[in-house]
Amino acid sequence: MWIFITLLWRITARLLRRLGSGSLLVPVAVLGVAVFGITLWTIAAVALAVILVVRRPGTAAALLPVSLVCAGIWGLALAAATPGMAAWTAMPFGAPSWVAITLAPNGHGKVVKYGTAPVPVKAANQVGVGWQVLPASAAPVHKPLPPGAVYALNAPPGAVYAVNAPPGAAYAVNAPPGAAYAVKAPPGAAYAVKAPPGPVRFWRPGGLVASLHQDGGMTVRFAKAARPGGWIAVGKPGAPGPFGGAGPGTGLLPSWLLVPLALVMLTVGLWLAPRSFARLRQRAGPLVPYLRRRASEIGWGLALVPATVIGLSVFGVRPWTLAAVIAALIVTIRWPQVAADLVPLVLGILALRGFQLAAHWAALPAGDSGPGVPYGFVTVSGRQSALAAGAEASALMAFGAWLVPRTIVPHLRAAPGPDPDLAGRVRQLTETRGHAVDAAAAELRRIERDLHDGAQARLVALGMNLRAVERVLPGSPNAALALVAEARETSVRALNELRDLIRGICPPVLADRGLGHAVQALALDTPLPTTLEIDLPGRPTPPVESACYFAVAEALANAVKHAGARSAHVRIRHSDGLLRIEVSDDGIGGADPALGTGLLGVERRLGTFDGILAVNRPSGGPTMVVMEVPCALSSPKTCSC
Amino acid sequence: MRVVVAEDLFLLRDGLARLLSAHDFEIAAAVDSAPGLLCALLQHRPDIAVVDVRLPPAFADDGLQAALAARREVPGLPVLLLSQYVEQLYARELLADQAGAVGYLLKDRVFSDDQFVDAIRTVAAGGTVMDPEVVTKLLGRRSRDEPISRLSAREREVLALMAEGRSNTAIAQRLFITEKAVSKHTTSIFTKLGLAADQDDNRRVLAVLAYLNS
Repeated sequence: MWIFITLLWRITARLLRRLGSGSLLVPVAVLGVAVFGITLWTIAAVALAVILVVRRPGTAAALLPVSLVCAGIWGLALAAATPGMAAWTAMPFGAPSWVAITLAPNGHGKVVKYGTAPVPVKAANQVGVGWQVLPASAAPVHKPLPPGAVYALNAPPGAVYAVNAPPGAAYAVNAPPGAAYAVKAPPGAAYAVKAPPGPVRFWRPGGLVASLHQDGGMTVRFAKAARPGGWIAVGKPGAPGPFGGAGPGTGLLPSWLLVPLALVMLTVGLWLAPRSFARLRQRAGPLVPYLRRRASEIGWGLALVPATVIGLSVFGVRPWTLAAVIAALIVTIRWPQVAADLVPLVLGILALRGFQLAAHWAALPAGDSGPGVPYGFVTVSGRQSALAAGAEASALMAFGAWLVPRTIVPHLRAAPGPDPDLAGRVRQLTETRGHAVDAAAAELRRIERDLHDGAQARLVALGMNLRAVERVLPGSPNAALALVAEARETSVRALNELRDLIRGICPPVLADRGLGHAVQALALDTPLPTTLEIDLPGRPTPPVESACYFAVAEALANAVKHAGARSAHVRIRHSDGLLRIEVSDDGIGGADPALGTGLLGVERRLGTFDGILAVNRPSGGPTMVVMEVPCALSSPKTCSC
Repeated sequence: MRVVVAEDLFLLRDGLARLLSAHDFEIAAAVDSAPGLLCALLQHRPDIAVVDVRLPPAFADDGLQAALAARREVPGLPVLLLSQYVEQLYARELLADQAGAVGYLLKDRVFSDDQFVDAIRTVAAGGTVMDPEVVTKLLGRRSRDEPISRLSAREREVLALMAEGRSNTAIAQRLFITEKAVSKHTTSIFTKLGLAADQDDNRRVLAVLAYLNS
């Protein structure tokens, strides 16, 4: 025996070395077949495992611990969820031939007796899954029954069950205390049931066959039941068991192996996990930051797909539930925020369904039942499981409610709310608007003062002069002549002042010809040799033109006044919606927007158009003032020089 | 002498026409827009055009553009521009064809009608008259690398007055020097600016142009 085991181990070890530990994935998948039966998807899992082992050994090795751990946890959960499973695991080595189980009203059972003696009652486990009440004091059923014999399975005080079990198995199950069933099953399967008052339901593992309301003592003939050799359980059949049948010993794998196997898989999986994860991390290393960023972007939206998958188990695998899962996947990837908002909604729907189920089942009279309805982790088939479903629904509802202030509320608030960029923009606009309003007001005051002190005063003087001329003309024409000459001088001065004023408001060349020519004219008026490099394929809007003109004028004036420059250079270009103006000189610097009001004013005026001003002023070196204003050019009138 | 007057404000147009008539000018046409001016100039071929820079339809530098267009058609057509403001840029454009017979004055100069009429006659005779304002600004400029910088202070004064369209006699009176001294200065200016001894008037225009371009 030990030699055999050692030999097996050596062969396995060598195979593993050759194929890599990933090849263990295949036996794990085969185990799935053993546990869940031969279904399309278990076969597909085996095929996938084989393909992975052959083509992608690395991936298979990485998946192995994950699948082992999952399988182990599943097995343990199964053991915990299956009535009597804990007791089975305590059974001695060797399959029990029969099991007697007591069932509490909640449907959970307890093994009270088991033995290896042959029991002719077919599918003894059905007794357990049914409602059989088998008091501990009752004699265990272990006598072989001759074909055609009547068998009394259970005897609550005063109750008698008569079972006629012909070859091919007819079987009577269950009765509330005091009731009696007589089941007679002739070959070809007709059943006669004598039912107690109240509804009697006929079940097959596949579903409800019939439900009859009985008056006490009435005999029902029901001939349309099972196929020959099949049987009908009267009462609650219980969900099909995970090991292929409704109870122990009916699956492809002996049930007592479940827990040890699960524990082994869990242990091996956990033992392998760190190594294979290290390999996985190595392979997927470059992806990790991206995935982490995506995950943090999606946030709670990540929960949408799992939530819809739970929906799959709650509402069944139907076209619309599948569509919901696929839609959830797409929404999560494309619109993570919407996905996060949908999570509480989906959870709410799931929870409502749970409450509905729980309410429905809780409303049924005690002991009444039907086929189980799956809801998440529980299968609702009675009041107890209805309570569990209710608890689960409450948990889902609570989770959904907890998510609301973390998803929908901030998103709703954020929609029109404080986008930091927008807030900064608003602040900047408020500031520049304030500057613009202040500047406009100051400009108006200056114009008013200039007109008041200048042209207006001159006109007054002119009028007075002319009045004096009127007075002296008759008497002394010579004096009048002098006064008229004076009046003419005054008008010339008034005109000069008006001219200067207008130049300060809007230089005529700027209005006539645009920025390029105006800067040209400016350069001509500047008492400094100024070279120009202007490339303007059109004209900016008049306000931008004006701001830029006065900006250049200020920069040139600074070059003349402060920098002690010998020459200046102005460069104006427009590209990609940005007007860029550079005014440089070869002076000693000294310009600083923080120091003088001139450049500060220019900066503010340009700021009104989202323009910026930068002064490059290496100490003692040449100054360069750079201004940039985003703007479009209008007419395709060209100016370049 | 036949004059075309272009001025969009009726009062000024009428006043100009009356002033010129009073000084024995014949008003060939008085127009109020740039297209009208161009037509009148090409049709009447006047001895001189007195033109406001800002004219309809665009109320920009339409008058200047029309005058320049007319001078392209009729080279050397005497044009005296009047404006509320003077721009060196426009002065240079006027002088660019080097044909002379151009003037550029502030409208205020009309007040001293004698000087104004003198200026008209100078331009009509092929001379160049620049407003003192243009000339003052030029004097304010510092130019180191230009031929102009080789001129002495006195020569620059003479050149500035020359740019204003004054004759040698007027310059002599203004600077309180003899006419002979003035002509000595002008010859020196022409030499320093590298202007050959060509026709005197043309040299004066070129000298002014060199001055303006400095």
